[in-house]
Amino acid sequence: MELYEYSASELSGMLSKREISSVELTKSVLKRADDTEPKIDAYLRIDPEMSLKMAENADKLIASGEASSRLAGIPVGIKDNISTRGIPTTCASKMLENYVPVFNATVVDKLVSAGCVISGKLNMDEFAMGSSTETSYFKTTKNPFDLSCVPGGSSGGSAAAVSSGSAVVALGSDTGGSIRQPASLCGIVGLKPTYGSVSRYGLVAFASSLDQIGPFGRTVRDVALLQDEIQGRDPMDATSAQRSYTSLFDSIDGNIKGLKIGIPKEYFGKGIKPEVAKSVTDSVERLKSLGAEVMPISLPSTDYALSAYYIIACAEASSNLARFDGVKYGYRAKDCDGLIDMYEKTRSEGFGREVKRRIMLGTFVLSSGYFDAYYKKAKLLQKRIQREFADAFGSVDVIITPTSPSEAFKIGDRISDPLSMYAADICTVTVNIAGLPAVSVPCGYSSEGLPYGMQIIGRKFDEKTVLNTALAHENAFGGFRRPEL
Amino acid sequence: MDIDIRHIAKLSRLKISEDELSGYEKEMASIIAMVESMPEINDELTVDSENVMELRSDDNVGSGYSRDEMLSNAPKTVAGCVVVPKTVD
Repeated sequence: MELYEYSASELSGMLSKREISSVELTKSVLKRADDTEPKIDAYLRIDPEMSLKMAENADKLIASGEASSRLAGIPVGIKDNISTRGIPTTCASKMLENYVPVFNATVVDKLVSAGCVISGKLNMDEFAMGSSTETSYFKTTKNPFDLSCVPGGSSGGSAAAVSSGSAVVALGSDTGGSIRQPASLCGIVGLKPTYGSVSRYGLVAFASSLDQIGPFGRTVRDVALLQDEIQGRDPMDATSAQRSYTSLFDSIDGNIKGLKIGIPKEYFGKGIKPEVAKSVTDSVERLKSLGAEVMPISLPSTDYALSAYYIIACAEASSNLARFDGVKYGYRAKDCDGLIDMYEKTRSEGFGREVKRRIMLGTFVLSSGYFDAYYKKAKLLQKRIQREFADAFGSVDVIITPTSPSEAFKIGDRISDPLSMYAADICTVTVNIAGLPAVSVPCGYSSEGLPYGMQIIGRKFDEKTVLNTALAHENAFGGFRRPEL
Repeated sequence: MDIDIRHIAKLSRLKISEDELSGYEKEMASIIAMVESMPEINDELTVDSENVMELRSDDNVGSGYSRDEMLSNAPKTVAGCVVVPKTVD
């Protein structure tokens, strides 16, 4: 077995016992990336020299006995909308093709001081707008289980790298499903943490009230390890929650006796592939046999969630992306006739089609005469959805649904039809709208061997119960199934 | 519903070419048709009490980055200032 194949929790033990070095591990992961990248295209940037330097430093840290983190020496991939000092951070956009941050995102600072190794920057949909990585200005990432299929998105590079072994764990960001849906399509575990539990400082904003950074891993424990490292209050993020956090890794044991699981019927009907629904229902039965109690619940406003989501997300995006005007950073168009012309040319040439459409949709719903009909209505719907979840969590501990309505779709199949692409997020957007934590875990495979994912949603800041349920499922269902590459 | 893409593009500081216009019109119309399915809700919109942002106590403190660092990504600078096209004749 090669080193890149081990889980982060196994590697952590091997590193601390000095059975292996971080340099050996990093070399193994980089070698794997050499082999897989021509097929997968998960990374936008790999800098072996930098990674090996970080690995050498990690080895020194471990040898000195001063490594306080279990992730010391472990290679982590970073989605390219998370700022890395001195390393280009492009958001997979022409607009930021040459942008090099002068500061680290708080999560990156945390990983660096923990002694992690950055394995590279990962591909994504442009400005995290998309569900397939096809809107990336640079390239489309391929699904490791079938190279003709998308890996999901927007954090498709993160999911594909972890699934194919070119990263041990990775960071992504999730605004409407951008961690969970690619995790589901690539057969790995992905956690969207509670809004406010992980600092957004240094995450290039898409929809600030919904965006959240979170971890990918091949096992539930790996996701817990990475979440332990990145969670916590940050004074640099005004929406970061003031509370104390305990280790998730140490508090999960997979015992779910007495756990109350709610099954919302709205997530198992129209638009959900029957095979996906069945694999989730079968998994719930397994959890029941482990001592969980299962009950039907209803979340009646689910049908409208996608509409509310696209209005809120695009409204915020239209405002957030106003900063890209060719003045202070990023792309600037040539041969401009005055300032306004420079703004317009820069933005028209620098942004891709999907981003422009979302900016215009957001501008439209916020424009004079339409605010009440769209944005206000969407915000009211958001309150209602939040209330419905809160009511449900009065009687259950977790809510289980499919993550994605189908397995991975073919590259090119949906890119020209925005509504069919948006439908990929139908099961995940409600969680962002309500600010809840949710994890996706693999729960079955199609006849072609493509993974299905199950979403476990919890109460605010109850990542522990969410991951504990995921661990019970993983133990019963079996762990990560490596794609043949 | 008819959406005036040119007007929206202008508000968004975007230029949309003739070739792109009909594509955007069609897509925007289908998205707006989807969101119009939202039900009427007669509640009052209130400020989210749970997620009130707190003011940072350090909001007057400098960033700690030098002027050169902050300008390192600017497309055009002269003498420590960002250069933009002339705006006033």
